[in-house]
Amino acid sequence: MLARLRDVTKRYRTAEGVRDLTLDFPAGEIVGVLGLNGSGKSTLLKLIAGLLFPTTGMITVFDRPPRGVRSRVVYLGETDTLWPWMTPEDAERFMGGLYPDFDPARYRELLDALRVPMRKTKAMSKGERGRLRLAMALARSAKLYLLDEPLAGIDLISRETILTSLVREWHTDETILLSTHEVAEAEGLFERAIYLRDGRLALDARAEELRERGKSVVETFKEVLS
Amino acid sequence: MRGFKTLLWLEHRRSWVWLVSLLGSLAFWAWGIKQVRVMDVAERFGIRAGLLGMAAAIGALVLCLMIGRIRAETRHGQYQVLLLTPPSGYAHIGARYLYAAATAFVYAVTIGFLCWWIAALAGIHLDARTLFELTLAVPLYAIAVTVLPLLAWTLLLMVFISAYRISGPGWIPGTVMILGTPFAVRWLITGVGRISYSLPGWRLLANAPTALIERFGQPDVEGTLQMTSVIDRGVPIEPLLIMLALTAALLAIAGRIRQEVEA
Amino acid sequence: MTTKDVWILDMDAGPIFEQIGRNVRRLLARGDLRPGDKLPSARELAGTLGVNPNTIVHAYGELEAQGILEKRRGLGTFIREDAPVKTMRDEMLKASAETFVNDAAALGVVRYVAMEALKEAWDAR
Repeated sequence: MLARLRDVTKRYRTAEGVRDLTLDFPAGEIVGVLGLNGSGKSTLLKLIAGLLFPTTGMITVFDRPPRGVRSRVVYLGETDTLWPWMTPEDAERFMGGLYPDFDPARYRELLDALRVPMRKTKAMSKGERGRLRLAMALARSAKLYLLDEPLAGIDLISRETILTSLVREWHTDETILLSTHEVAEAEGLFERAIYLRDGRLALDARAEELRERGKSVVETFKEVLS
Repeated sequence: MRGFKTLLWLEHRRSWVWLVSLLGSLAFWAWGIKQVRVMDVAERFGIRAGLLGMAAAIGALVLCLMIGRIRAETRHGQYQVLLLTPPSGYAHIGARYLYAAATAFVYAVTIGFLCWWIAALAGIHLDARTLFELTLAVPLYAIAVTVLPLLAWTLLLMVFISAYRISGPGWIPGTVMILGTPFAVRWLITGVGRISYSLPGWRLLANAPTALIERFGQPDVEGTLQMTSVIDRGVPIEPLLIMLALTAALLAIAGRIRQEVEA
Repeated sequence: MTTKDVWILDMDAGPIFEQIGRNVRRLLARGDLRPGDKLPSARELAGTLGVNPNTIVHAYGELEAQGILEKRRGLGTFIREDAPVKTMRDEMLKASAETFVNDAAALGVVRYVAMEALKEAWDAR
């Protein structure tokens, strides 16, 4: 089991992030984390990444507290987080110097495949920055990837390129948790879909099983979350 | 540690403009010093020394601003990125502090050189030993006792505030820290003052009074005696040791907070 | 075989692995794929279609069990030389015919009218 949550609740000052989540994430799955805005998707991923601590309950990643194994986990947050003066070369220096599992050759391939321009990030569009951050994330070899809305605000063609890259880069012993609004586009990727509603687990199902019963992941989304 | 080098590089890329501006500003102070057109040599020297004092104080302030830039990072999420990198919170704090401390050192040494320069302009001849002490030992002592702890305190304050703003009103602990500091500082100064000179002092600038007398003539006997006794006593070692220890402690706390905080 | 438009996938039309299987049979029946042809690797096809590689692996596994394709060690995945293309063609034709007949019956026409419509459509190609 790569990650385990037991009765995890996260309460913020003014609101509740997630409530009573019990989930297991084995190796080798691509999991869609789906839900409306504010349903707790980001909170879930941040909890597993170790950016947030649960108010109650327990989380382990590789059987340890999440923050302690951060060198073995890739977290790609929702918000744009690069320094404005950074170029892709700077990003390579940054990642290579801090993460032993960062592969510069793979990074350059990804920059190429994702058509990332060699400029400072402040001179890049949002989509280009998103693709750069994705290249930085996928050039690492971790067992657990937590991708929070990697497709958000990105143009259609780039989204397709990103999904193709994800499929190409994934190895069968790795687990990817991907939260997205573009459920329809990413649907084919998911082996498993987790639906969150108001911070609680509404449904946890295998994508192909859902389709066996005649409902796509998107259809189920509309059903479960309206 | 491989990560530490990269953290220093990152700090440099973030802050080199501050570094260059600070050091460049000394050219401005030098120009200002040159502009002093008072007739009396001693007075001119005094004014110039005062200008250098201002340069030192303002430099310290700017350094605090430089090291305290955490809020922008928190807002833009770069804090999150750093938190999830393998190096510990201590490493992050260490790199940030080291860069600022190194800048402070270079700045202080340069002011030391400028002191020598204004002395030379005033016709005061300093021997090699005094020159060496003026440009190295005195700046080191001065920053170790004042600026280095101040930078550590500033860093700790900003880490504190940004840590608590996530899980609660950040301004409360920050305000407590700021309000409490004058009391802590007064207590510190009194306490340190009491134990100072239990250890032998560090004689610095021993030949400076001679050089001054040579240039400006002998002041009254009492003045001479005072000057000599002050120089003979040397500067106290206790404040140096205590401030270094305090700096280390403040940095350790900042590192710990950084290590354990949410983002 | 590596272009996306050759493969027809509909997320609302049942499990993807089944659809892949249907696609392969369709392509074989129409001659777009021939016995002995090399299929893209599971990962390649998954990348092209934006689909989980395990799903393709599942699909290929099913097709292998059905005697339509085989894995040759070190070389890749191939349509078997003895793949029952004719049978598949017959089955698809039969299914098409049944659909046509059901549609015609639903419209309430007699056999003769239906046959005429069929002839017309054929001649118009």
